[in-house]
This record gives sequence, structure tokens and C-alpha cells, in this order.
Amino acid sequence: MFKLLFKSIRSRLLPVLLVILTLMASMVLLLSIERIQQATEEGFNQSISGVDAIVGPRSSSLEVVLYTVFHLGRPTNNITMQTVDDVRKRDDIDWLVPIALGDSHKGFRVIATESSYFEHVKYAGGKHLSMSDGRGFQEISEAVIGFDVAKKLNYKVGSSVHITHGSDDAIGKKHDDFSFKVSGVLNKTGTPIDQAVFVDLKGYELIHIGWQSGKKVFGLDRLDIPSISREELTPKTVTAAFVGLKSQLTLFAFAEDLRGYSKEAISAVIPGVALSELWSIVGMVDKGFELLSWIIIVISLISMITLIISSIENRKREMTIYRANGATPAYLAGLVVLEAVFIGFSAIIGAIIFVTIITHLASSQLNVVLGITPEFEWVSLEEVKVFGIILFAGVLSSLIPAAMVFKKSLHQSLS
Amino acid sequence: MILKTDKLKYKYKNGKTIDFPDVSLDCGEKVLINGISGSGKTTFLNLIAGAIKIQDGEIELAVNKYSTMSSSDLDRVRADHIGYVFQTLNLIPFLSVLENIALGVKFSKSRTLNVGNIDQEAKRLVESLGLDRNVLNSPVNNLSIGQQQRVAVARALLGKPNLILADEPTSALDVESTKRFLKELVQTFDPSSQAILMVSHDLSLAPYFDTVIDFSKNNV
Repeated sequence: MFKLLFKSIRSRLLPVLLVILTLMASMVLLLSIERIQQATEEGFNQSISGVDAIVGPRSSSLEVVLYTVFHLGRPTNNITMQTVDDVRKRDDIDWLVPIALGDSHKGFRVIATESSYFEHVKYAGGKHLSMSDGRGFQEISEAVIGFDVAKKLNYKVGSSVHITHGSDDAIGKKHDDFSFKVSGVLNKTGTPIDQAVFVDLKGYELIHIGWQSGKKVFGLDRLDIPSISREELTPKTVTAAFVGLKSQLTLFAFAEDLRGYSKEAISAVIPGVALSELWSIVGMVDKGFELLSWIIIVISLISMITLIISSIENRKREMTIYRANGATPAYLAGLVVLEAVFIGFSAIIGAIIFVTIITHLASSQLNVVLGITPEFEWVSLEEVKVFGIILFAGVLSSLIPAAMVFKKSLHQSLS
Repeated sequence: MILKTDKLKYKYKNGKTIDFPDVSLDCGEKVLINGISGSGKTTFLNLIAGAIKIQDGEIELAVNKYSTMSSSDLDRVRADHIGYVFQTLNLIPFLSVLENIALGVKFSKSRTLNVGNIDQEAKRLVESLGLDRNVLNSPVNNLSIGQQQRVAVARALLGKPNLILADEPTSALDVESTKRFLKELVQTFDPSSQAILMVSHDLSLAPYFDTVIDFSKNNV
């Protein structure tokens, strides 16, 4: 039966191949959307862990998460260090790490923070950040770089880092009178941390001495840096602060309490809540695409059945010869169903290969754009279910032409 | 006795009924059914092939009585006991000559057992029918109509089914090819276990047959 089927299909290779391609393309569309959406969601969710809240200027919570965690967009406002200290003194606070954003190094974001950042901020559900080489910064002139920064810029412990004011490399914007020395390189995390340069907050404040309204007014060469006290280098403002609470039960009360902070308009953003807001927006678009993909799959299945029905008409003589030689109607109907299984199965194999290629391409693109490195499974259980549904629908719909073959009387074709 | 029909009647959808003459074939017998168009030749052949359920009367083929048989039983009888040759377009174009011949036993265990080695038997048959054994692996489209008809006969004879049914197999052949075709058919079939029932409107074929049954008086 299989030999006859394959030879028959080979004799109609082009139309069969086109139907396989149509079905495969629709499955690739459906699965790619699903995979990339899931991987992005997983990648985003894994990017921050251990941080109960992000204290920042009062604005959209999603915006705060996007620029503090994913380095997307720009902070529109800062919070004062006085506010940070007030929050730090609260009884419900376990730890607090301020961060200041705004500068960059060769396209990579610079995060000015305290050395305790590497102790408290985690990723992928609680994994600690670790150094592949060196150590965290201990001096104001030291920097820690993410895995991708080290790899792409070929930096090692001891390399010099000149920071650019703002996010572009425009002439005259470089803090070229002070260089940081790399003291450590972080291990790969698959999160935006890999694409960040971390410097000490005080060092960050130092390089901004002499800068006003984004322009250098005077250089550091005028100053006697060793004589500047550490207190003088405490920044007046920061972008936000990552906070860990003693008990997560107090999280919503803490957030509510900060809303009433009188000295400044601040808010405590809960990363998980902000990200679920994002997924509810993305999810709606995703559902639309998913519906569209299923419609395309239905159209592809209809085209498969159309092909089989029209081929039955063209294969009338072939079927008659089988019947005249003793083939039962069930055998011929089986040939038709098997052809649908073959088409469906070939499309599934093709779709797995293509989706794997597409998702790997998307993975590197997601790494470039969002800094996340999602991991894709070869075939997930959910996808096996989708394949099963499509194959079942294909077989079910092939019963129409199979029934046509079954019902066709032999004498109608013999005469 | 290979085939015996008894008081076979068939009523068409237009209400007209045809009474077929009783036909019986013994081993080695060759019968030609002759008649004008519309005389019921093809209907008779379809009834014998089990393609149409009998309405009245009886057909007995190798001790199988059609009146008591289901459609699937008739399929099995056709696979085991009948070799069928069509008027034209007998072969499947995407199969080789050998694969087309092998179809003759594909659906019958008893015919497969009769053959033993299909390749060798196919070679013997094609050579006996005047074809070069090298044609076996050729695509069927490389053959002339006459050669294709001989391949169809080889398929019908493979595994020694009891009855060879042929529906105007020479209608597309010229006079010389027709003579050669019939001569080789008669020489190749096994008279100890097989019989031939052929339908044709061409009475000039009569010398090749033992009996000629004229259906011309039937008017459907």
C-alpha cells in the first residue's frame, strides 16, 4: 500500500508539494508566534528576580520596569537620594540598591549602582549573579561588565572603559578625562544584565562633576580627585532603587504607603504585576495572530482536500484498475486517508525544522533588541498537541474523499 | 466447470429488462460474446466480474455462487479467480511494466501462492506474449498500444486465475496486431485451469474461439 501511495504521490509531486508547503507555512506561522511570544515572556520574567519592588518617580509602572530592568526607553525623571535614604530607613525594608541610568559605553547601557547590587539582584527564578573573572567593584574607578559586553568588545579584567554621556557616541559627549578599570566580568545570564556596564554610584557622580545640562563645562583635570571626600560624591538624585522587603506579605502595604510619601511623587512598582500588564496587552495582539493562523490552517486543510478530491477524478483509471484486480473499496479509501496523513505528517516535519530555524534566528534577534536569551525546546508538549489536532483534522476531512471513493461502484468506472 | 450462468436477468433504471442466455465455460474453453452496441455485452461482463450485484438468476464461478455473496466476497472472488483486460488504458502510468503485471496478484493470496516468484513468472509471460523481457523495468508510456495490451494480458494471466475477462481488448489495435494479440493470448493461457470470455463487436475474431454467443437479439 505504501509503495503504491508513494509512487502515486511522486507522479503528482508538484501539487502535493504545494499543498504540503501551504500547510507547513500556516503551521510555521502559528508556532513561531506562539514560541516567540512564550520565549519573550519567559525571558522577560527571568530577567529580574529577588527584587520585590522598584521605587521610582511616579509614572507608568510598565515604563519604570522597561527602563530599569530591560534598559528600554529613557527615564523621564529621577528621585532624590533623600527619598532613597528615607525608604532605606523603613522597618519593612531588608535591602535597597539605588541605580542611576543615562550613560552608555559603545552602545551598552551603563548602570551606576552600589556593589551590593550583585548580592541582591538575581535572575531566572533566584539564581545569584556570579563572576566569570575578577570581582565586584571596590573602588570608585572600577567597573563590572556583563558577559556580552566582554565578548563583543573583547574586554578583560584590567581593560579601560570610557563612558559616554547619554546613550549615543556623539563627539564631545565622552567622559574622556576619567576611565574606569574592569574589575570583574559577569557570567552569562541570558538577561539584559549581560549587556550592561556596572560602575560605582560615586564614580558615576565623579565623572559628572563639571557637567551642566548635558554639556561639559570644565574637565576633571582641574580637580584634585584624591582630595574629594566620599560624602561629596554621593549623588543628589538616582533613577530608581531596587528594594527587597523583609516579608513579601507587606508588599502591597509598602506600595500603598509610598504612594502617600509627601516629599516627592514616587511609586513602588511590583515587577511581576507590571509585566503581567505587558503580557495582557501583548496577549490580545497574540490572540489575534493565533486566530489568523488557525484560519490559515483550516484554509490549508481545505486546499488539501480539494487536491485529493480533484486527484481522485484524475486517478479514476488508476482506481478502476486496482478495483478490477480485486482491491476493496476500503483499500482505496485507506489510500486516500493515508495520503492525507502523509501530507499532514510531511508538513509537520517541515514545520518543526522551519520553526526551529526561525526561533533560533529570533533568539539572536531578541538578544540584540531586548537583551534576553530565551531557550527554545525542540518540540514542546503543547506543540505536539497542536500537531495532533491538525493531523486529526486532516485525517477527519480526508474521510470526505475517502467516502466518495468507497461509494463509487466499480461498474461506473468499468463501463 | 469454471463459469456457469443460469437464467440471468437484469433490469435497467429505464425499466427495460434483458434476459441473458445461459453461458457455461469449462477449463480451456474460449468464448466470444458478440453483439451490437447496447446489446448488454458490457452489463453481462460487469455481472460476471461482480461489479454489479445480480438481481435475478445465478452466476457460479469456481463454485462461488454470486446470489448469496456480499460485495466484499465478490471483491475476493474477483481477486482470486478473474483476470480482467480493459478495452484501453489498462496500465498505471507511474508504475513500471513489472509493477503493473504484479498488480494482478497483489490483492489475492491464492494467486500470489500460485505464482511463486513474481519476477520470473512475469518474464515468462511477457516473453510468451512476444515482448522482450527487458521491457519489464521500462515505464509503461514507452510501450505501443499493442505492447500495453499484451502487458495487460500478462497481468490478467499472472497467478492463473480461472477466468480471463476481456472487454473489447483489440478495438484499438490494427488487423495485424489483433491477430498477433489473439494468437499469443490463446497460446499463453493455461487450458488446464483457465477459460477465456471475451466481448467484442468484431465477428472476424470468431476463428480464435471455441464458441461465439450472439447478444444482438438483446435490445436494451
